[in-house]
Amino acid sequence: MSAMIWLHEDALRSDHPVFKAAGEGAEAIFIWDDAYFQREGYSLKRLVFIYELLADLNITCLQGETEQLLESYADGRSLFIPQTPNPLFKNIIDNLQKKHNVTTVPDIPLVIVPDDVDLRRFFRFWNKAKKSALSPSTGPLL
Amino acid sequence: MTHNPYTTFTPVKTTKSYESAVAVKALSPWADGEASPIRGDIHQMQDVLSALDPLSYSRTRNHLGGAVTQLSPFIRHGALTLDHVRNLAIERAGKKDAEKFVQQLTWRDYWQRLYRRNPDMIWDDVEAYKTGFSPNDYADELPEDVLNAQTGTACIDQFLEQLMSTGWIHNHARLYLAAYICHWRRVKWQVGAKFFLTHLLDGDPASNNLSWQWVASTFSHKPYFFNLDNVAKYSGADINTKFNANKDIAGSYEALAERLFPYMEPRR
Repeated sequence: MSAMIWLHEDALRSDHPVFKAAGEGAEAIFIWDDAYFQREGYSLKRLVFIYELLADLNITCLQGETEQLLESYADGRSLFIPQTPNPLFKNIIDNLQKKHNVTTVPDIPLVIVPDDVDLRRFFRFWNKAKKSALSPSTGPLL
Repeated sequence: MTHNPYTTFTPVKTTKSYESAVAVKALSPWADGEASPIRGDIHQMQDVLSALDPLSYSRTRNHLGGAVTQLSPFIRHGALTLDHVRNLAIERAGKKDAEKFVQQLTWRDYWQRLYRRNPDMIWDDVEAYKTGFSPNDYADELPEDVLNAQTGTACIDQFLEQLMSTGWIHNHARLYLAAYICHWRRVKWQVGAKFFLTHLLDGDPASNNLSWQWVASTFSHKPYFFNLDNVAKYSGADINTKFNANKDIAGSYEALAERLFPYMEPRR
């Protein structure tokens, strides 16, 4: 059975590493969740911008409540999800992991630094990250 | 008969943003406002990338009319990676001349790491205010005149108007607005941050809220504030910086600090 990708609002592009991780034939979905958008307070402008990005992606778009929809629509498939710092999404992912096979996939990083790097002030971080930040990755150019 | 907890829809590419707005209104009738002239169009994004000039950006980025990119809404929603933009910038300008630009990209990476490490920082004061006031001294709601872009301070009203109509303002204008709302109007930074997240197309809780905390002084050593001379220095002719239309923000930094932060202890 092929996998399913939940492409959320932090990862709206078709070459996110999540696609490779999920493999050929995976169905990518976006969930238009009014309750989420309203909780975030998004204006029409923001929704239009997201809608226009979606129009450039060849994915399944569904309108409904995120967690409930992911539960039912996955229908036993493995789930692949772009990594996100969003606490609401992380909570949903934690809940899904109790019943489903879920893999989160990080995006291509800008800098490679130790996980415990000092984050108390930006310029301390910059001093540690500068060398990596100024080293182009081997990723594709647009 | 089982009930599906969802409906499907097919986003349609439109030629005008108002056509997209009509489609979105059909999905989400509750959504307020108008569409932005900045469109979620990947081809437009690629045009901007083609014209990317890191050196010109570094020289003019603090100026409200400077060579900033407006790529941030695409980066916010993952349509474009920081990695892509960095690679392009270094390819085009070389490491030395691209450094300032890459440093700005790294700010976003930094905010995201902070967010991942401690999601509570996003809405809670990271540190105490250093303004001489306590959190209770700050209001829980935005004044009506701010929401209506009718504060009576001309440049602030122009920035508010641009924010609410286009969903994008220059970073320097964001700092001016945040400082005005926090320090002149003494509104809790969380209220202002939420207001920005409603409107900014690139509104991201980490970058936005921690920048507000930096202005408020709950994530910095001192509050950020500005004066009319500073706005005039970094604005073009399109921003009204005449004294008579901006009296509330006019004055020396010393005089404004005394007025805005009368109980602030001098730093030792």
